[in-house]
Amino acid sequence: MQLRNTTERWGAGAKCLHWTLALAIFVMMALGWIMTAWPKSPAKFEMYFVHKSLGIVILALMVLRLCWRLLNPTPRLPKTLKPYERVLAHGTHALLYLLLLAMPVSGWVINSAANFPLKVFGLFNLPPLVGPDKAVQGQAEVVHLWLFWIVGGLLVLHIGAALKHHFVLRDEVLARMLPDQRSQRDIPEME
Amino acid sequence: MRRLCSPAILVLLCFAQPAWTATTWQVDYAKSRLGFIATQTGSEFEGRFRKFDARVVFAPDALDASSFNVLVDVASVDTNSADRDSNLPTPEWFDVERFPTARFETLGFTPVGETRYEAKSRLTIRDVTREVRFPFTFTVEGETARLQAKLTLSRTDYGVGQGEWAAADTVGHEVIVVVDLLLKRAELP
Repeated sequence: MQLRNTTERWGAGAKCLHWTLALAIFVMMALGWIMTAWPKSPAKFEMYFVHKSLGIVILALMVLRLCWRLLNPTPRLPKTLKPYERVLAHGTHALLYLLLLAMPVSGWVINSAANFPLKVFGLFNLPPLVGPDKAVQGQAEVVHLWLFWIVGGLLVLHIGAALKHHFVLRDEVLARMLPDQRSQRDIPEME
Repeated sequence: MRRLCSPAILVLLCFAQPAWTATTWQVDYAKSRLGFIATQTGSEFEGRFRKFDARVVFAPDALDASSFNVLVDVASVDTNSADRDSNLPTPEWFDVERFPTARFETLGFTPVGETRYEAKSRLTIRDVTREVRFPFTFTVEGETARLQAKLTLSRTDYGVGQGEWAAADTVGHEVIVVVDLLLKRAELP
C-alpha cells in the first residue's frame, strides 16, 4: 500500500489518520460522558487528565490530517451518487473536519477558564487560551456539550453512509478506507 | 539600697531598650501575600489565602523579644478556579466547618545570615499541630520592612486530602507556602 492517496484510493497516511482518529474520538466521547458523571475522586481527576491530553492529541492529528488532505489527491466519489448525496457527503465531511477542530479547542478554553493546568500526558505544558473566568468557562462548557451532540449526529450519518455504500450500494467507498484492502470488488466507474 | 537601684534601672531601661524590646509591625495586606504552590496531575498551580491576620513583632537585635503570630481564615483559600475552590473547604481537604482557622506561631529565632533567620515554629492546620523550621528573610528599609519565606510542607502531615486523596498520584503531597509580607512600623501609642 502506498503512503499517498491517488484519485482512486486512500494511501496509508490517510487511512492511518482516519482510523487512529476514529478510535481516539470514540474513546473521547465515552470517556467524556463517564468522567462528568463520575463522583469526585482521584479517578475522576485522572479521567479528565487523559481526556484533556487525548483532546490535544486529536487537535494535532486533525491539523496534520487537513494538511495531508490538502497535499494529496482525494479519491473521487462514485459517479453513481446523486447530486444531493454528493452535497451531503462533502457537507458532512467538511463539517466533521471543522467540528473536530472546534471540539478540542472548546475543551482547551474550558480548561483555561477553569484555571486548570494542562500538561499533555505529563509531558509538556500548554498555555491557557483565556484567563480564569467562570462565565467563559460556563459558555465554553455549553458549546463543548452541543458539539458533542452535533458530532455524534454527524458520525451517525457518516457511519450510516459508509455502511450503505458497502451493503446496499455495494461500492468501494468503505472498502477503500479499510486498513487492509482485501476486498477487490469491481469498482464502479468513478467520475 | 532600693533607692539607689531604682534610678539605675531607669537609666538602664532608657539605654538598653533596643536590646530587649522588638518593633511591632503592621501588615500592609493589600501588598502582602500568603500564597502556596501545589501540584495537580503533574502541573503546578498557585493559590493564596485572602484573609489572614499576622502579628509581627521583630527586631534583628532583639530576637528573644520577637514573635510572629498568624491566624489564617482557611475558607478564604483562592486558587483562581471555581472548581478547585469549591472542593478545598470540604471535609476531605481543609474541612473549614470544623477547622476554620489555621495558626502559626514562632517559638524562637536564630540568625542565619545578614537578613536571614530561622524560626522554630508551630503550625496548626485542621486539628494537627506540628513543629516546623521556618526560614525567612527580614529586610528593614526605614519605616518599612519585608518578610519573605518559602516553606515546604507535606499536605498529608496535616490531614489535608483524606481518603482516596491521601495518595500523591493526583494531587502532589508537597506544598510550598510562599510568604511575602510588606510591613510598616506600627505607630507608638
